[in-house]
Amino acid sequence: MIPFYAQRQLVFLRKASQLRGLYSFLLLLSGTSAWAQSPSVIDSVQQLPNVRVEGVKLSRFAVGSRVLTLDSAALAPYRTGSLTDVLSARTPLYLKNYGPGQLSTITMRGTSAQHTAVLWNGFNIMLPTLGQTDFSLLPVSGNTQIDVQPGPAASLYGSGAVGGTLLLSSPVRWGAGLRATAQIDGGSFGLRAGSLEGSFSNQKLALRTSLSYRQADNNFHYSSPELGGTVRRRQEYARLWQASVAQDFTLRVGQRGELTAALWLTDTDRQLQPAIGAASSNAQERDQSRRLTAGYRLVGVRHEWAVRAAWFEDVLNYRDDSNGLSESEVHTTQAQAEHTWNVASTFSVRLGAEAQHFAARVDGYGPLALTENRYAGYGLLRFDPTSRLHLSLNLRQALLPGRRPPLTPTLGAEWQLLETATQTVQLKGNASRSYRAPTLNERYWRPGGNPNLLPESGFGYEAGLVHTVRKTPAHLMLQTELTAYRQLVDDWVQWLPGTTGVWAPSNLRKVRAQGLEASTQLTWKPGAYQLTSRLAYAYTQSEKVQGTLNDTDPVGRQLPYVPLHTAAFTTDHQWHDWQATTSCTFTGYRYTDASGLNFLPSYFLVNASVGRTLVLTPTWKLVGLVQGFNLTNLDYQSYLNRAMPPRSMALSVRLAWR
Amino acid sequence: MKSFSAFSSVPARLVLGAAAAFSLLACDPDPDVEPAEPIVETKTVFVVNEGSFLQTNAEISSFSKATNALVNRSLFNAANNRPLGDVAQNMAVRDSTGYIVVNNSNKLEVVNLRTFRSLATITGLKLPRYFAAASSEKGYVTETISYAAAAGQVSVINLKTNTVSKTIAVGKQPERLLVVGNRLYVTNNGGSTVTVINTETDAVEGTITVGDAPNSLVLDRNNRVWVLSSGRVVYDASYNIDYTLTSKGSLSSFTPGSLTASTRIFSTNQSQPGRLSINGSRDQLYYTFQGGVYRLSINDNDLPATPVFRRRNIYGLGIDPQDNTIYTGLAPSFSTAGKVVRYRNTGAAIDSFNVNIGPNGFVFY
Repeated sequence: MIPFYAQRQLVFLRKASQLRGLYSFLLLLSGTSAWAQSPSVIDSVQQLPNVRVEGVKLSRFAVGSRVLTLDSAALAPYRTGSLTDVLSARTPLYLKNYGPGQLSTITMRGTSAQHTAVLWNGFNIMLPTLGQTDFSLLPVSGNTQIDVQPGPAASLYGSGAVGGTLLLSSPVRWGAGLRATAQIDGGSFGLRAGSLEGSFSNQKLALRTSLSYRQADNNFHYSSPELGGTVRRRQEYARLWQASVAQDFTLRVGQRGELTAALWLTDTDRQLQPAIGAASSNAQERDQSRRLTAGYRLVGVRHEWAVRAAWFEDVLNYRDDSNGLSESEVHTTQAQAEHTWNVASTFSVRLGAEAQHFAARVDGYGPLALTENRYAGYGLLRFDPTSRLHLSLNLRQALLPGRRPPLTPTLGAEWQLLETATQTVQLKGNASRSYRAPTLNERYWRPGGNPNLLPESGFGYEAGLVHTVRKTPAHLMLQTELTAYRQLVDDWVQWLPGTTGVWAPSNLRKVRAQGLEASTQLTWKPGAYQLTSRLAYAYTQSEKVQGTLNDTDPVGRQLPYVPLHTAAFTTDHQWHDWQATTSCTFTGYRYTDASGLNFLPSYFLVNASVGRTLVLTPTWKLVGLVQGFNLTNLDYQSYLNRAMPPRSMALSVRLAWR
Repeated sequence: MKSFSAFSSVPARLVLGAAAAFSLLACDPDPDVEPAEPIVETKTVFVVNEGSFLQTNAEISSFSKATNALVNRSLFNAANNRPLGDVAQNMAVRDSTGYIVVNNSNKLEVVNLRTFRSLATITGLKLPRYFAAASSEKGYVTETISYAAAAGQVSVINLKTNTVSKTIAVGKQPERLLVVGNRLYVTNNGGSTVTVINTETDAVEGTITVGDAPNSLVLDRNNRVWVLSSGRVVYDASYNIDYTLTSKGSLSSFTPGSLTASTRIFSTNQSQPGRLSINGSRDQLYYTFQGGVYRLSINDNDLPATPVFRRRNIYGLGIDPQDNTIYTGLAPSFSTAGKVVRYRNTGAAIDSFNVNIGPNGFVFY
């Protein structure tokens, strides 16, 4: 058996669309890169007073990429849930999930959990120790928009943007006045949740406060194969408790300035669900994150300056019967400064710099606090030679202690091939280098941490086609997008046991990920009835193509927990004051080891909801929503031998003022 | 309806085509579980695959010496249509019954060795490690209880009813155990002693002091017990190995009935010896040390300076009592297939075959 300190280390290592209201068309406009990046849409779709100049969004430099946006309407049914819930129901992304509310990590475009950068208001919030994000620790209520951008984009988003990037933000709706909602949820297996949200905005000030709370016993039944046949057991030791407090603040200072600040506190206390057939060691984990950011932007006609700073505190305390308590606390301080020069309406240049300071006090690093600084400089360029051709060239050079990652450029292009009254066809593509800085655990964990690890580096390219049809009389819009990509990630890091039994990470191998992404989205509003439907499919092939001598994993095998096929089909219906949604996701088989010895079978999951809005008075509304999950009562596993809940339901009642 | 002519567009066709193709492509591979075949006595080697911690994917593989081929990589699942459990630490045989210690499932699985079908599951153990039978009626299991516990225990198993009949307190983190006559010897890996238990009364007769961290023991042809100790590995405050405090491994031996052992100390503390095994004629000892397999005769005065062969990632060691073939289980990581490499007694490699994750031991049946 593995020695206990390695077990603890392993435990740590393991430590992983749209509901459319009246905004359907707007959403389609903002929800696809094709439209979001057309020169006319420089910023928010909201009405602006007079001729106020808006800043240039970062996404303007992401030319040639695919972006899926989940806006506040799409997130609404999940407002007391976590990002795991919404991403796994609404997208074909595969999240490796250890149980409801348990560790949930992502794989985008065939890469590892550490290869998807998660940014909150422009700052990377991946846990610096593990270098990955547990999506069950991110309550949906903290933000009002999620943008998913698959593919390498390190030049824009920094370390870890290898397989893709998730951007969490809460775009301001100016002049919306005062609004408030209160919601309570109850559901199967002891689910109790609630949220309170209030917002105010005029043309000068915007505020949003969001509180949410969730607890669940997760004492669902699961099948346990035992001597004498399958036994129906009740899940034990999977209780959780989670809370989130978010506060956003934006103040316009004069005609040109804008002051922003945001606070996001999350706290999760959970029992770690034991594997089916394994003894519970009463493992418990407490995760607390405190995130604070502030920034100032000055926007002129041609020049724009911005400074931002962020301070994060991430606490992860783990305890089990065998190893006792293991504590970690990391303080991350980040600062960014940038200048944008809009040379012409078709030509923008942005130069910026970023500094990150990590201070970690982690039991596994020894008794002393440890610090690390990382820096990066970047230059972004957007040029539209004609109204039909958009180009971007982005560069980033990061500086890491002792190591210099490669210069990471991205070249992107979009070309409007065809444009008629009803149809458009757009070609797009990009090529990008990316990198991932070694995590603090990889460098400093004792024993085993390897301070000499090289940053991982990737080179990827993609090409795609977007076809849009609009039939105005029928209020029909159909948008189809097809993307093919390939990426090579070199110096891929993995932990292996050494000759003395100590596990250590090293740069082991080169991995090639390639695949296809296809999606088609239909919006149709013949009358009172309104339909939005989205079908998305991903084919993901990811395998080791080359390795060092110490790397015994076979080449040419699909990586573990990377499904070859995933698909999501969602429909959203609205008719008078009724609404209904369905979501059907398919997850193909996944190998559970690097040799392809064993696999978990593929599964279809079906969720649905029905809701009704009651207008009580012109300003008060009551919304009732019934949600059903795993409607076919499928016995499935996302991660090997971790039980997932059978058919279950949740009921929510929301009271909205304005 | 005119608007649906949109579906005739090229990209839409591609997507619909892809969707249709996908329904054909998305089939799962065939589960690689061969039906269990009758197990041939004297020609079968069982490989204990520990599996990866917390994934309940331990397995037993069967290898045929008659055909020199793997018969069933996942024998337990093939015979019983269920996973074996989390972390198979050890398997032992009494008559035609197999006892598999499943460490992190806190259980002992009892199987009929001819069919490998389950006979019983003995639950409620506390981090069990190794099993040994004293008779057809009685067996013993060492248990860590908890890594924080000051003392471990040995549970006495009634092999007729497959229940725990009593427990006996022993030293800290008891590991391998050996029955010799009417005595049971238990290595207390968390200390430096061997506990002696009378198998008729189940009373502790005393302890024998050996080297630090004894981990394995065998009986030779002269009825002498050999105990291998890894040496105590000491970590500093930064969890690095402190070699100034880490003790060297040692090899002790004693005769049953005596409570004193003679001990030989290894030359270095940079590696921890383990997996003491003995050949069929019980006069050659084998163990792993410094990335290789070493051998010495029971009559040798000195510990060997050079290994029979070197090999990275040795995780399991077994010597075939019939022909002295050396079996090594390699566990390069716990996320990829383990491998068994067989060697002649000279150290020349014979062949290799893939098994499941973490092969840590062999049973020659």
